[in-house]
Amino acid sequence: MKPSLFVTALVLQVAALAFGGIWGAVGAGVLIGLAMRSGGAFRTGFLTALLATALLLGVAAVRGAPIMHFAGMIGGNFKLSAGALLAVTLLLPALQSGGIAGGIGRLTRAR
Amino acid sequence: MSKLVSGLALLALGAATTWAGTQGVGSVPPLNALLSPSVGLWINAQDDLPALAKGQIPGLADSVHITYDSRSVPHIFAASDLDAIRALGYVVARDRLFQLEVQSRAGEGTLTELVGDVALPADQETRHLGMPRAAEMRMRTMEPTGKLTQVLQAYADGINAYRTSLSTAQLPVEYKLLQKTPREWKPIHSMHLLNRMGYTLAHAPVELDLVEARATIGDSAARAIFDSDSPVQEPIQPAPRNAPREALTTMPAPGAPDTSAVRLLASLTSGGGTGPLRWSRDSAGTREERTAIQQERAFASNNWAVSPSRSATGKALLAGDPHLELTLPSIWYEVHLVVPGVMDVGGVTIPGLPGVTIGYTRAFAWSFTNTGADVMDFWRETVDNAARPTRYELDGQPQPFVDTRVEQYKDKAGKVFATDTVFYTHRGPMRRQGREWLSMRWTVLEAGNELLGFYGGIHATSATAFLDSMALYYAAPAQNMIVGDTSGTIAIRSTGTYPIRADSGRGTEIREGRFRKNDWIGFRTVAQYPQSARPTQGFLASANQEPIDPEYDRLYFGVDGHYEIWRALQINRLLRADSSMTADKMRQFQTNPGSVRADRLVPAFVAAGNARLAQGETSASLKAAVAMLAGWDRRYVKENTGARIFETALGHVTMQLYDELLPAGKDTRVATPSESRLLQLITDSANGWWDDRRTPNVREDRDRLLASALAWAYDTLVTQFGDPAMTPWTWGRTTPARPAHLLKLDGFSAPATPIDGGRGTLNPSVAAKRANFGSSWRMVVEFASQPIIHATYPGGQSGNPASPRYLDRLPLWAVGTLDSVRTPHTPAELAPADVRATLSLTKPAMPSTTK
Repeated sequence: MKPSLFVTALVLQVAALAFGGIWGAVGAGVLIGLAMRSGGAFRTGFLTALLATALLLGVAAVRGAPIMHFAGMIGGNFKLSAGALLAVTLLLPALQSGGIAGGIGRLTRAR
Repeated sequence: MSKLVSGLALLALGAATTWAGTQGVGSVPPLNALLSPSVGLWINAQDDLPALAKGQIPGLADSVHITYDSRSVPHIFAASDLDAIRALGYVVARDRLFQLEVQSRAGEGTLTELVGDVALPADQETRHLGMPRAAEMRMRTMEPTGKLTQVLQAYADGINAYRTSLSTAQLPVEYKLLQKTPREWKPIHSMHLLNRMGYTLAHAPVELDLVEARATIGDSAARAIFDSDSPVQEPIQPAPRNAPREALTTMPAPGAPDTSAVRLLASLTSGGGTGPLRWSRDSAGTREERTAIQQERAFASNNWAVSPSRSATGKALLAGDPHLELTLPSIWYEVHLVVPGVMDVGGVTIPGLPGVTIGYTRAFAWSFTNTGADVMDFWRETVDNAARPTRYELDGQPQPFVDTRVEQYKDKAGKVFATDTVFYTHRGPMRRQGREWLSMRWTVLEAGNELLGFYGGIHATSATAFLDSMALYYAAPAQNMIVGDTSGTIAIRSTGTYPIRADSGRGTEIREGRFRKNDWIGFRTVAQYPQSARPTQGFLASANQEPIDPEYDRLYFGVDGHYEIWRALQINRLLRADSSMTADKMRQFQTNPGSVRADRLVPAFVAAGNARLAQGETSASLKAAVAMLAGWDRRYVKENTGARIFETALGHVTMQLYDELLPAGKDTRVATPSESRLLQLITDSANGWWDDRRTPNVREDRDRLLASALAWAYDTLVTQFGDPAMTPWTWGRTTPARPAHLLKLDGFSAPATPIDGGRGTLNPSVAAKRANFGSSWRMVVEFASQPIIHATYPGGQSGNPASPRYLDRLPLWAVGTLDSVRTPHTPAELAPADVRATLSLTKPAMPSTTK
């Protein structure tokens, strides 16, 4: 995969997650899937969503948000550790975006 | 083909995760909305008090400047009192939006619409008590252009202005977890909250307890053991006094059941016995849990004041610490409102009430404790049709009901999922209890002008003028209002509506409803309220004890027996012993670990244990327990190792001693007598109460029961906390305080916090399994040329669990330290280093009109 394509997908993903609310990862997945019919759509959708989420949390942390502390508090309500809660936060959009991108990419290629 | 299959599989993975993430699966909430970095909970972790902020409130007459000091207290500077109230609504909503809604819904009986059907028992009890109807009636009778209406509307405008300024991403975390959005705040919601406070402080039905006790141990034993008059009197009035009055008379032993009570009880408890005489929201608890809740609810509050004659500086002093449920966020929110030339008032407000509840002006300061007076009575009604009543009998005539309300309970989606009917007689709501129909009268339902009392009070210029304003308007829940001022006056008055029953009756009986002569015949006049001003003894104190000595005034007051006398004895002991009082000593008193309760009861345990050992008892556990208790200085400091075994042993004694109060075949004691009854029983070692009826061939006495409780407590604690030689049972470790989140979410609750204090001390702030009450606000005031205030509360100003202002006050509170409260006259009086943030509020620009 070309680095420029990955970076473009990452920018798209950041924008989609930041402004697309709970459907951001899905929207980005659709676009990535359509754009990467030749292969690598799942990987790109998954990794860019993961990175984009991490980036947005990082920005919040830089602005002073106590991410790990708050993760511990939220996790405490679900009997989860702070690390596990962060992992779910990162993996959820990654699986959504990756799955949809990969699915669309392969189905359109199969046709 | 394989590409098609794998493509479909991947698409299914993406779709499934999206579906699960947006809808939730089983008990797992929709994680997409919760964990999204752009709209989920993470957004709430960002700074919630920016250094500079602006807002708009429709209806604002002039701009309002708000400065948050370094303690996050908003100082509101406004040009008119209504603008100050609008700004108050705005700043309270900014920090406590979810709390506003949950507390008002609790008083409205609509919690199910916010949290689901889990809240149905609580909502049903609220509606059956007639609370929402009373609020609606109050709003209907309110003058449309009167001051109260204006104040309630201004407050609502402020809250709604903040509420509507929020995006979905900015909603408090609880709304995101519950998948709800904040509802519009209406003036009536403040009335619901007032009713809710009435429920918290003035709802304690004891009638069924007495009937059950009479049906179990006979009339005379039941009336003696549950007498609302304490055997030890340390009242507010009369003052002065040099010492408590004790009347440790012999208690009648449990006897044969009272047959008339047995018949009545059978009728009241037929079919399970749910109804107005039960606290339905606690019905799921075990016997021990319900007892603990009743006792903890009655931990209640302290306040006291010292005259210039007994103060080191020659200035009057005042202290107050109301003990309520320790929640996060706290029930209190600290504010300061300045309207030049009109008002200058600070202290704590209850989110939802437009005003300062406990606080100070430039001239005086005040604090409250609960009277615990009996202001709720029941009548047995005779109805025309027991299944579907349409009339009730009164003086031989059938009467139509005053009102019949079908109560509908809605789920989170707004769909009605339960209904029931509440009938209203001229007395109040009528509900079925077993085979009986009982109507109820309760002063809380007839109150409503309390806010006018506060409004007039904060414009007063002296301590007594404040009390007079409150006496004019304040009805319920009745409070011991203590006040001091800069002229050196201290005063206290137990203000509220106190019913007078027919035939000098007591409020502990269920009355016959067929005759109007059995109704309340009047109320105490203000002159009959317990009170004292400028006492010659030089101090005043209240701690939920009977405020007036029944020997001095025989008119029934009926303080809840769970309000123990211990704290009143301790405060008066401390105040009598020191004629050179300072503000700092008063601060230390608020967490004083001394305990009259332990001082009176521990020696009895030790003596009983030693007596049993001298008689040949060989239990190693008893020996160890006696040594542990004898070596304890009876102070509830964090490090002590005696309090835990004393509390456990005392709990066991209560269970064993009152085994006669267990009806045959049941595992639930009818009620638990006041601890002060132990003082009477301990002086009478062979009283029948000490005998365990479950051992018919052995007659236990005091020493045997106390000693066996000690040995039992030692063995229990070894199992629970390990060998004390290896891991000492320190009080702070075994019995910490732990303020809990409003929704009881563990992750948003405070960590276990060791403190000095415990049951019976002036700082009874300990966590229990189902109840968690304690010192919710501490304030000490020195009256110099203007009041100098020191205060704090457990928790923090922000209701946002992610905020650094959520728990920032807890460490200071835990060690009994108070903050210096800022009282600037103008924004410029706060030093720049003391300013945390500012907020400017303006009215929205008028939309331009074009043709």
